[in-house]
Amino acid sequence: MKSAMTRTAVALAVLVGALGLAACGGGSSSTTGSNTGSETSETSGGGGETASNKGPIKIGAAIDETNLMKFFDGPALAAAEIEAEKINKEGGVDGRKIEFTVENTQLEPAKTKSVAENEVNGGAEIMWVTCDVDWATPSIQVGLKAGLLTVSPCIGTDQMGPKRFGSEGELAFSYGNVAQDEGAALAALFKKHGWKTVDIVPDQSIAFTQNVCESFKNRFEENGGKVVVEEKFTEGDGTIGSVANHVNSSPADAILICATTQNDLPTFVSGVRSAGNQTPIVGPWSIDGSFWLPKSPKISNNIWVTTYASIYGDDPNPEVRELISEMDKKGAEPATGGFVTGASAIDGIKAAVEENEGSTEGKALAESMVNFKDLPTISGEISFSPELHTVFGREYRVIEIKDGKPHYVEMVKAGTPAEL
Amino acid sequence: MNWIQTLVDAIGLGSVYALVAIGLALIFGVMRLVNFAHGELITAAGYTLVVAHALPVPVAIALAVLVAVVLAWLMERVAFRRLRNAQPATTLVATFAVAFALEAVWLIAFGARGESADLLSSLNEPAIQTGGVTIRWVTIAMLGVGGILLGATTLLLNRTKIGLQMRAAAADFRAARLLGVRADAVISAAFVISGVMAAAVAILLTAQQPLVTPTFGLEITILALVGIVVGGMDRLTTATMGGFAIGFLNSLLGNLLPSSERVYLPSAVFLIVIIVLLVRPVGLFAPRGASTAERL
Repeated sequence: MKSAMTRTAVALAVLVGALGLAACGGGSSSTTGSNTGSETSETSGGGGETASNKGPIKIGAAIDETNLMKFFDGPALAAAEIEAEKINKEGGVDGRKIEFTVENTQLEPAKTKSVAENEVNGGAEIMWVTCDVDWATPSIQVGLKAGLLTVSPCIGTDQMGPKRFGSEGELAFSYGNVAQDEGAALAALFKKHGWKTVDIVPDQSIAFTQNVCESFKNRFEENGGKVVVEEKFTEGDGTIGSVANHVNSSPADAILICATTQNDLPTFVSGVRSAGNQTPIVGPWSIDGSFWLPKSPKISNNIWVTTYASIYGDDPNPEVRELISEMDKKGAEPATGGFVTGASAIDGIKAAVEENEGSTEGKALAESMVNFKDLPTISGEISFSPELHTVFGREYRVIEIKDGKPHYVEMVKAGTPAEL
Repeated sequence: MNWIQTLVDAIGLGSVYALVAIGLALIFGVMRLVNFAHGELITAAGYTLVVAHALPVPVAIALAVLVAVVLAWLMERVAFRRLRNAQPATTLVATFAVAFALEAVWLIAFGARGESADLLSSLNEPAIQTGGVTIRWVTIAMLGVGGILLGATTLLLNRTKIGLQMRAAAADFRAARLLGVRADAVISAAFVISGVMAAAVAILLTAQQPLVTPTFGLEITILALVGIVVGGMDRLTTATMGGFAIGFLNSLLGNLLPSSERVYLPSAVFLIVIIVLLVRPVGLFAPRGASTAERL
């Protein structure tokens, strides 16, 4: 009897464990989906305020302050608040000060939804959401249902907009670079450095990493490049060691890895470099930051990253360096260059509100934003289109990690977004 | 596909899970406890390596072992001892609680993004590299350490007085006590040994996977647990072989599946696990005619 009970308990353990493993392996997001807010409950709020209101512009932020996304959400918000303070000191936006209220979603879907509802009920005129479209979806749905302009600082896929959220998604925008643009910028970097053959290693666990590698491939081949090996993996699936060994036997000029800064990225880099392979390893913004780098300078070498800003004290834009210094003073030291998207989102909101003479009415702001063409912001010039509500056209900083030390090298630009 | 490299990769991953399985199987054999919190011992040792990175390597390793051992002892003393006569489901839930509580501690202390601990990164260099085949030192080390730990634990349980006492305490805790076995002490000893094993896993694993995160040990423990059920959890050797088999299978299927279909790898692995459990419920490597009541 005891044995049978033990077996039952073990079976339960394995079941729960398997579910846990699935959750771990799934990482932060699924790769597809198209919800338009049918589960969102009714909330009060009226899609922003009209120009006659000269009170503060209330931005309700439903972001992660606890879990994986806090390293993206936190610095982006800190940068946004500093940019907002600067604007407020100069008299605000059409006479209106910018005011943030912030609540922690803890990356839990139910909490994300309730936090967003609190923000709407508390009078938020603009919804500010976390930097991953899947985690942010419950709050995006609440914002869109309430008719609010809904902004994420650094979502990097084309999902933030009508593609995922239907007609309601016309109010949704992200100030991150869209994967089609970053893929094209990476292809431009390869062209600039004369890397004509490549091994591509995309992580299939999130849409951004898949999309950026796919976009790169399309533009790289258009440019006459040749893909030697394409090895897909899913973060945490245990295959990254084999992937590194396959890549090691390839003669390509460079390796493109589209991954996130979880366990598999340093395992891959270590697997390649430890075998004596010093081929350039290149990656998008999602591998920016130095915290994940193996400490050995032999291993953390010849790695190239495209990103929004250099956090290593050598960004070419003095305004960005000043922003980093102010963030450091606030104890919000950025871990990646993505922080600057928060400040540029505030620049974008300011431009849209000014165009609408102080109104924060969601539809009006969205109509202004979708027409942004090369709008100057602290992070560079940005553009949106009816199809792409995530930024394209921005210049990228290229960071090289040499002997364990990251430093800014050059700028690169996509030209036009690649096909996906 | 290079078949030799595929087999080498599979052996490499199998040896990782085999190492984890030994620690899990020891505690299950002695206490009938599926210790989900074993992964937290691995994580604790991993974070110790992060913190002790500037110290000489032997000192850092010694500290990692010490931390894992002390934490293992504390787990038994504080959480599991009082539940020794509880229903298996109760103790199982207790191990979940300990695991999640410790994971929260790592999250608060070190954050979610992870810290690098590549203290023994030279172990990841190739020992043999010929004809497109790379065999790394870490694979050899894992196989060697796994073999030594398995052999030493088997000897300890079968040839020493404390091993006999452990088995007696596991078979009938009250009777063992009446016969003079210091049951609390021997069960604590089993946890201490599992702590040493967890530290060995962390030390070797960080050579290959340098980033230590709050779930560093948990993920690997879950799959190793599946492996010991598949292999036959009632014996140390079959459980270890099961751990090896699950890692081997995962790597092998990962290589066999086309790159674009690799996203289905967990489904394929668990489908095979279900089939094996249906065909051989007592365990793939359990002797014919074995019943689930036998141990170690």
